[in-house]
Amino acid sequence: MATIEVLNSGFAATVQDLGRYQYQSAGFPVSGAMDQASLKLANLLVNNDANAAALEFILAGPTLQFQAPTFIAITGAASSPSLNGQPIALNQAIAIQAGDQVQFAPMATGRYGYLAVANGGLQVPMVLGSRATTLKIQLGGLFGRTLAVGDALPFEPCYVLPSLAHRHAPVPAVKAPGHIRVLKGPQWDLFTPAAQSQFLQQTYQISQQADRMGYQLQGEPLPVPTENLISEGTVLGNIQITRNGQPIVLLADRQTAGGYPMIATVIGADLASFVQMSAGEDFQFELTALNTARALLAAQQQVLTTLAASFAAQKYQAPVGPARTGAQKLAQIITHRG
Amino acid sequence: MNAYHYHYVPMGESALDLVLPNKIDVGQNQLIQTVGQQLLAQKIAGVTAIIPAYHTLTVNFVASLVTYGQLTQVLDRLIAAFDPQQAAANSRVLAIPVCYDGEFGPDLAAVAAYGHLSVADLIQMHTQTKYFIYMMGFLPGFAYMGTVPKQIAMPRLDKPRARLEPGSVGIAGAQTGMYPVASPGGWRLLGRTPLQLFNAQHPQLRYQAGDYIQFTAISKTDYRRIQALDLAGKYQIKQTILGDA
Repeated sequence: MATIEVLNSGFAATVQDLGRYQYQSAGFPVSGAMDQASLKLANLLVNNDANAAALEFILAGPTLQFQAPTFIAITGAASSPSLNGQPIALNQAIAIQAGDQVQFAPMATGRYGYLAVANGGLQVPMVLGSRATTLKIQLGGLFGRTLAVGDALPFEPCYVLPSLAHRHAPVPAVKAPGHIRVLKGPQWDLFTPAAQSQFLQQTYQISQQADRMGYQLQGEPLPVPTENLISEGTVLGNIQITRNGQPIVLLADRQTAGGYPMIATVIGADLASFVQMSAGEDFQFELTALNTARALLAAQQQVLTTLAASFAAQKYQAPVGPARTGAQKLAQIITHRG
Repeated sequence: MNAYHYHYVPMGESALDLVLPNKIDVGQNQLIQTVGQQLLAQKIAGVTAIIPAYHTLTVNFVASLVTYGQLTQVLDRLIAAFDPQQAAANSRVLAIPVCYDGEFGPDLAAVAAYGHLSVADLIQMHTQTKYFIYMMGFLPGFAYMGTVPKQIAMPRLDKPRARLEPGSVGIAGAQTGMYPVASPGGWRLLGRTPLQLFNAQHPQLRYQAGDYIQFTAISKTDYRRIQALDLAGKYQIKQTILGDA
């Protein structure tokens, strides 16, 4: 086992995978990556399972020094990564040698960045079936907390990566999504028709109160139902309307149960663009149908599946089966760093 | 054939809610717990998690592996086959030791006065009821339990305390509960259990929704003794089955 030394902690960087799903019935928040699409892409680029643990960071990423060779991929927000002072691309597998340093500039757009490491990801202990960090209860990840200077993140070194030269994905042009699609929530019918149409027609912005638990929005307050609700389960993307008439969109570290009326739920295919949206950007909610939401999510998944298939197809192109040291040399030549 | 009133509602494309009438009722909640467990036991590909609550069962699933329609059909069959007598008889009753002492229970006197009782009678009343766990959340190990006898069902404090110690046991109206971790809270505190209810190093919980909790009064000496035993991993919670009593 090798380690990544944390030279600078960055801001609120945590170890995350796809979350601790199975223990919600006991009150454990799911946690996991805020932008799951970006985590999955990062893992795919370094040949990991989608659920492998990676580093999630916000605003300004950490400075890291690798103690052994591996491959990394950085996805998500425009975090301007550099390797030993030279800029490196997002959405691409990058070869790393022992002693290499990776650092980031403050993010230009987006909120959450991801750094995945080949050969199974960050090897922090598995807790209740997941390596995700839940800060509020100091569970999982690296000691249940954010990174600190001097931390050592364990990983398995990796000397070859199949199809290395082809492991890159297009970096989509960042544009404001404008519309975030939703399905009606369990308490949709408790809202008056006027409140429902106001919710769908007005412009919202993400407020400054936005963290891993949820994003509070700002817009004209909605009339709130007077019914007294009893707590029920919550899911990723639920939109609660609090007593002051403002929505909160529940995200990765949400409480497992809540008692505010849920007017709608953000569809899975739009969660990543919602989570990465900047504060103050205008958007509207748009009602969609269950079948559309399913089809959009399936199409998003298909992009990753196609990418994975293209990597697998390139894998057996020449040179076939070089010795480990030879492959490593080859990788260095490909990345012009030999 | 049971005649339960329920419906389903999507929670996004990757979850659904089974919704029963908006009430707090043990029989209805036992249906939710039982159906939820039976759904998981079927190991349907794509079903990832459930969240049973007072009157809802939230089911999380992978939309590309199983559909909303397939799941509601399975749930319909489980609800039709639900046996309320068996569910009630199979419930576990867990004995949780609590030290009802002024140091741990700053609201003992106020709640006793509210119920026109002596403190001893208040403790007697709080310990003689078996409290049903309707749901877990909002924190790991926080159990929403009822029902507290009306006479001592004092509403919560107007102004919450900034910090309640882990293990604090209190009441809020008809609900009673214990705090697994330190947290602000407005519950009326009657005592504290020496048991570690949540430990991030060993996060498995010792009770779940659908269990009954019965508090047993212990002395301060026993509190220290049990706390030491429990920290050493040597304390077993006394457990009985409701139907065996």
